[in-house]
Amino acid sequence: MKFESKAIHSGFSQDPKHGATAVPVFQTASYAFSTAQELADVFEGHKFGHVYSRISNPTVSAFESRITELENGLGSVAVASGMAAIATAIYALTASGDEIISSTNLFGGTFHFFEDMARFGVSTRYVDIHSPLKIKQAITDKTKLIFFETIGNPKLDVPNMKAIVEIANEANIPVVVDSTLTSPYLFQAKKWGVHVVVHSATKYIGIGGTTIGGIIVDLGTFKWRNARSEAVRESAQKAGHFGFISQIRQRILTNTGNILAPFNAFLFSLGLETLSLRLDKQCQNALELAQFLGSHSKVSKVTYPGLENNPYHELAKAQFEGQFGALLTFECPTKEACFHCIDHLKMIKNMTSLGDSKTMVIHPDSTIYRTCSPEQKEAAGVNDRLIRVSVGLEHFSDIINDFNQALSA
Amino acid sequence: MNVSINGQKEVLTQSTLTISELLKLKNVEMPEMVSVEHNGTILERDAFGTTHIQDGDDIEFLYFMGGGAH
Repeated sequence: MKFESKAIHSGFSQDPKHGATAVPVFQTASYAFSTAQELADVFEGHKFGHVYSRISNPTVSAFESRITELENGLGSVAVASGMAAIATAIYALTASGDEIISSTNLFGGTFHFFEDMARFGVSTRYVDIHSPLKIKQAITDKTKLIFFETIGNPKLDVPNMKAIVEIANEANIPVVVDSTLTSPYLFQAKKWGVHVVVHSATKYIGIGGTTIGGIIVDLGTFKWRNARSEAVRESAQKAGHFGFISQIRQRILTNTGNILAPFNAFLFSLGLETLSLRLDKQCQNALELAQFLGSHSKVSKVTYPGLENNPYHELAKAQFEGQFGALLTFECPTKEACFHCIDHLKMIKNMTSLGDSKTMVIHPDSTIYRTCSPEQKEAAGVNDRLIRVSVGLEHFSDIINDFNQALSA
Repeated sequence: MNVSINGQKEVLTQSTLTISELLKLKNVEMPEMVSVEHNGTILERDAFGTTHIQDGDDIEFLYFMGGGAH
């Protein structure tokens, strides 16, 4: 099946008892078994089954399976938020004394999490992800993973997947990629050799910015039995190819209880059914808006990989199925001009998050990155003249007209 | 041949059988989510189709709730 069909039909076919075709919401904490032996077999792992919704739940499993199919992966674990997906993957792969290699430009929340991990003895080496030499030089015996985003937020740079994966494979280090801005629709991570992908499902996977959640996908491209992480290596001795997934579900999820809620999983399964339609439209709207802003006299700079003069245009086109995402940034001459524009928008919302049906803007410097140093802001592509736009599903003429009147006010 | 599956002694009438074929024969639930331990060693998924079961083998099916593909 093609992506669009799998997004509708995979993970769940129909309820065997009543014939319901939408994924039922199993709003239950626990599960009863007919015999003591049956429950013992499930606990032992000899029989398939759900025992407690802190560890697994049928509605959540259906969403996990749908994502696994769309990513052509090995298995997935759905968690309470996009940040929970990142944190869970990092907890699974690292221990005190270990190091992460990360791109310098990251979503602010991820950056703050990596900084906080230092309290637990896990340090992060930030590198220019576009320099193979600098990545290689940053690798030490303590390196347990390489982390970056498919499209850096908010710098909107595009790392070269093949080049980074090649370095990682040579060093036997898994690559963990945040594909939130691209979703499984724009970026087929397995095709590019990526080992683990994480998504904030809150964004494009969900519908209309209603639901918080995240998911971690093992693409089945890494031999966990040989992993540098001792905990994952031990897990793989017991669970084989499911070593990483088992480490997450049996240890992290069980101990932290950060699983996705069943009703949120239901909404995400529903959201996936229209993901391709929505993203096609949002990417088209983003291109129209980028071209408009590029010609506006009050705008000094526009960054969008879809523009042909963007340095990442060709790479993005190759890696993202010919599309470029629905996030763009533009600069006004001053911070005051940015605030003036934002304050005069009528339809477009001033809010954090992205990937919503609604077009939204944010001034990253005074919000998400307000506590970062000037050097950290520069590395992330943030300055006080920058506005980030998450382009929504409205008619493109309404989006353009709102920016035009706000910039001209 | 005589084998042990999840600790239970069983007699299989087939003379040759791979792990993949055994999963189908035993109608194992959610096969995409199962790990297989063969004589004390966890098999990689891509070895299921090439690992042949011998007389006296010990096989365990194990579930780790991987959220695997249906």
